[in-house]
Amino acid sequence: MAITDTPIQKPTSSLYDRLGPLGQSLAPFVLALVVGALVLTVTGKDALSTYTTIFQQAFLGVTNLADTLLFSTPLILTGVATVVAFRAGVFNVGVEGSLYLGAFMAAWVGFTWTGLPGFVVLPLAFILAGLVGALWAWVPAALKAYLQVDEVVTTLMLNYIAIFFTSFLVNGPFLAPGTANSMSPLVSSQAEVPHFMTSSQFNWSFVFAIALTLGLWWMLRRSTLGYAIRMVGDNARFAAASGISVARTIIYSMLLSGMVGGFAGAAQILGVNGRFIDNFSPGYGFQGITVALLAADQPLVIIPAAIFFGALTNGGGLVQLFSNIPIDLINVLQGTVMLFATTRLTLKWFRGRKARLTA
Amino acid sequence: MAYLELRDITKRFPGVLANDHVDLTVEKGEIHALVGENGAGKTTLMRILYGLEQPDEGEIRLGGKRVTIDSPAAAIRLGIGMVHQHFQLIPSMTVLENVVLGAEPGKLGMTDRAAAVAKVQEIAAGLGISLPWEARVADLSLGPQQRVETLKALYRHANILIFDEPTTVLTAQEADQLFGVLRKLANDGATIIIITHKLHEVISISSRITVMRRGKVAGVLETANSSPQKIARLMVGEDVGHLERSGRSQPGDEVLSLSNLSALDKRGAPALRGLTLRVCRGEIVGVAGVEGNGQSEMVQAIAGLIPVTGGTIRIAGHDAAGASTRLRREWGLSLIPGDRNAEGVSKLSTIMDNMACTEYYRPPLSRSGVLDEGAMQRRARSLIERFSVKAPSPYTKLGTLSGGNVQKIVVGRELAAAPQVLIAAYPSRGVDVRSTELIHSKLLELRAGGQGVLLISEDLGEILSICDRVLVLYEGRIVGEVPTEQADIYWLGELMIGGKPATNPPGAVIGTAQPTLPKTASTKS
Amino acid sequence: MFDSALILTLLSKTLEMSAPILLAAMAGAICRQAGIVNIGLEGMMLAGAFGGVLFSYLAHSAAVGILGAILCALVLGVIFALFVLSLRGNEIVSGLGLNLLAVGLAGYILPVLFNVQGAFSPLGLQGLPHWHIPVIEDIPVLGTLLSGYDPVVYISWLSVPLTWFFLYRTKPGTHLRAAGEAEEAAMSAGINARGLKWLAVLLGAALCALAGAQLSLSQVTLFNKQMTAGRGFIALAAFYFGEARPVPTAIAALVFGFFEALQFRLQAERGISPQLIQMLPYLAVVIALVAVAVRKRLRLNTKARAAQAAVGQEA
Repeated sequence: MAITDTPIQKPTSSLYDRLGPLGQSLAPFVLALVVGALVLTVTGKDALSTYTTIFQQAFLGVTNLADTLLFSTPLILTGVATVVAFRAGVFNVGVEGSLYLGAFMAAWVGFTWTGLPGFVVLPLAFILAGLVGALWAWVPAALKAYLQVDEVVTTLMLNYIAIFFTSFLVNGPFLAPGTANSMSPLVSSQAEVPHFMTSSQFNWSFVFAIALTLGLWWMLRRSTLGYAIRMVGDNARFAAASGISVARTIIYSMLLSGMVGGFAGAAQILGVNGRFIDNFSPGYGFQGITVALLAADQPLVIIPAAIFFGALTNGGGLVQLFSNIPIDLINVLQGTVMLFATTRLTLKWFRGRKARLTA
Repeated sequence: MAYLELRDITKRFPGVLANDHVDLTVEKGEIHALVGENGAGKTTLMRILYGLEQPDEGEIRLGGKRVTIDSPAAAIRLGIGMVHQHFQLIPSMTVLENVVLGAEPGKLGMTDRAAAVAKVQEIAAGLGISLPWEARVADLSLGPQQRVETLKALYRHANILIFDEPTTVLTAQEADQLFGVLRKLANDGATIIIITHKLHEVISISSRITVMRRGKVAGVLETANSSPQKIARLMVGEDVGHLERSGRSQPGDEVLSLSNLSALDKRGAPALRGLTLRVCRGEIVGVAGVEGNGQSEMVQAIAGLIPVTGGTIRIAGHDAAGASTRLRREWGLSLIPGDRNAEGVSKLSTIMDNMACTEYYRPPLSRSGVLDEGAMQRRARSLIERFSVKAPSPYTKLGTLSGGNVQKIVVGRELAAAPQVLIAAYPSRGVDVRSTELIHSKLLELRAGGQGVLLISEDLGEILSICDRVLVLYEGRIVGEVPTEQADIYWLGELMIGGKPATNPPGAVIGTAQPTLPKTASTKS
Repeated sequence: MFDSALILTLLSKTLEMSAPILLAAMAGAICRQAGIVNIGLEGMMLAGAFGGVLFSYLAHSAAVGILGAILCALVLGVIFALFVLSLRGNEIVSGLGLNLLAVGLAGYILPVLFNVQGAFSPLGLQGLPHWHIPVIEDIPVLGTLLSGYDPVVYISWLSVPLTWFFLYRTKPGTHLRAAGEAEEAAMSAGINARGLKWLAVLLGAALCALAGAQLSLSQVTLFNKQMTAGRGFIALAAFYFGEARPVPTAIAALVFGFFEALQFRLQAERGISPQLIQMLPYLAVVIALVAVAVRKRLRLNTKARAAQAAVGQEA
């Protein structure tokens, strides 16, 4: 074909193209809010006042703000976990599984080694939780890297395995003595992540999560491992031809992903719940996917995206109490964000996956 | 008035003008050859005729009436059928199912199998071909698959048949068989358009020829009044071959050798069958051949991207067995991949990142695991300058550049590594003339600097203009070799398609006189 | 440890409990054959369960309930097809989003429109009848196994041969498989691949609707937003296990249904954890995928050896 050196003609620019990068990453949020407003209006609720209330309850006042950040903490962590894998082109939908196993591990450390001081037991619990999460993610990673087993299905299935397995643990061997409910014993008070205030459970996990996000951002941008992850994610065949080991990079990215997933579980257990409770996650791992989709190109977007959902959860809970609007509205909004997140507005490199997956 | 007319067809793809005001007229019952080099726009034009692409400008007239062909279904309704170069068959379905697919006889949404068999056999018998109707297409080799495609079109009452490079995948006998079928069809009144770039085919089968070059019609000839030279001149144009090689070099030590190499293709069929070649310092060795004869597997095997099933590779004195791609590159291997968008660059990444990919892990681009962005930037800048890449900054995403500029970036990166041996696969494919010249001059610089180059191309003009020796790759092995000075286009062309030339030019070596394996082993699974 | 009467009840329970899994697995298999991985089965099932209860209650008729279930699931089917096929969204993310949307809408609508928290079991809600087949009913073992189910269970059995017949014996089914296996080739044969993919998704949605309605109008007569309890994903597991072929998929669905029935039994028993049993379908899929991959790898190795031998012979 005759290739000229004239600048490339852009395909007819759509409204979407004209939005620019910021507009494009905001678009799914805005569209979700519109859909939410539609649902509210159709069911006879005042959308504007609902959104205003959610906003007020989520952001106005120190306690409210603290709660919002508290709710966003697990989403930041699962978002980071998912982005690391996505960036290497690994469609890891299994952070939920790492989260459950990490959570149980952290709880186990907390209720078993009760004699240890906080500065020992806390790092230990996080490290072991991260380790377990990473090992869990290693399974689908190795299957993908060495046997070309599609990771979407394996990670999805491994989630359920992790959920039922931890459920078995706290219903059987590790059921707290004297309780009929499926939960582990309480962790020692030294193993709890210190809170910032008494009016909210807002705790140091948030700072940890922010630090991890910054660390991830730096790692992807400036480290050689991050570079390899980006190249493998952008074009694995090119990366391979350039001398990067695609299999190894996939495994590293998944180990990191699983580790952070394990951290997320530990942060939730040691920062909020104080014990492992069967089925404790309302889908943090899946919400992390939404966060990650919105932040795949710009890891720092994880923070505002997670806070957006944290605010919805926080504000939504209060709206449910006061205005009788079910908190499930949040699921509607989040589902809509997910639906819109990869459409025309697709993060470019997600488009390629469709073909492969259905091949 | 002509039976079929394509008037003033223009088709643009991002950055590419694939068809530039093309006219094509074909008479009823004629076999019309559409010839041109790779990328001349032949396939695009035919995809437009078959409704797979929509033209940006121009119109199609059939029997004097203007027609709109907005889908293959519309083309089929108009009696147009196409046998694609890459077969459009459903591998897991049977031959019969494939032939009738989308136009099955029978009522109530059910296929009347008996009617289907009868109808298909009638058509097949008329052409003197036979196929195992119940076999899965995946289990057939390529020749029978093509017959399935042909039957498919005829079954749909096609009276205009388009064949896109039908013989590339056929053995010589199969090609003869196909031509017999085509003549029979034309005698029966069918109109046939055949895309090809093999001159002897054009001469032997067509009645008229339309030659395309770089998206335009370069000329229309009556076959009777044409000659291979005439067609070749129209095909290639006058604007190539300004480069002068500085005489025959004195080849030095061996920098790359493949001996008795074998490897499988993606589907597990043998692609390399005992391939042996060597490249020495100070020479450019050309590998001519029709694509799909093991070129991409050879490149991938050298780079360590696919496992070899036998034989050895030596790169700059090292035995490459078990060596990673990175290690091979550290020995001095550089690679310009054939499919540059898939393997040569990452379109989503910046120029800077694309430039660093082979060396990012070591100084000066990084230290103890931390990238030196300044160094990466400087490298990208200097490359942009030296190769006059049209790009605003090192942070520009590669996807926004044109094909020529992308190729300059690939070539620049691979040369920046100061290779001992460079593998260049189709380096000028899809690249404009100026960029091609730049790339060729860089290859010649390497040669002058005492490095070895292995050039893989299907463009004989390119090979003959810069190579010292030419090898012909056919069905996974080298079937002939000749010094460029003695090379003869027709001799090479014949070897490329598996022929056995009657006379050989001086200095030529006819390759391994081994029996030919069937091209595709059964992929039964 | 089990006596024969217990085994019989267990098998009969298996047949009843596998019905929704079977139907959803057929839905998934049809979509998979059309080249679409449908993660939204769970959401479509939930919509079916919801629509079934809602319309059965409004019309005091289980039959209308079924139609309502189909209607609601089709709405989700249209959304899924729109996002995945027309807007070219990623099918995994869209499927997960759809599931979330389904839960959200159900959880939102119930309190707002019906002032219901938790389970929705309005007065006048008609459950599905249980059919007692004359003659067969009275045959000892067979009677227990074959008679006394609701119509959807029988439909679920029929869905297997019908799916097979549709996919392998009808023109649209054949075209659909062609579109799923090689879209461009199918299109060049004049097949409306996009339309058939839509058809697959909508057909799948309708099957999921039946699955959901069976849960909410027969296994129990109520709706709550957790009631599908991952059955959509078990169905996903089943058709992955069966490589989207109707019969092996159905066998997998029955086995998974058996696990489920077993787990209900075991809640009364001691010793074996029901959670570990619930884990089995998912574990089975991972193992199956690994087995397939290993087999493929071994086959490739065999080919490599064969090719090498051929080259060696020539030399």
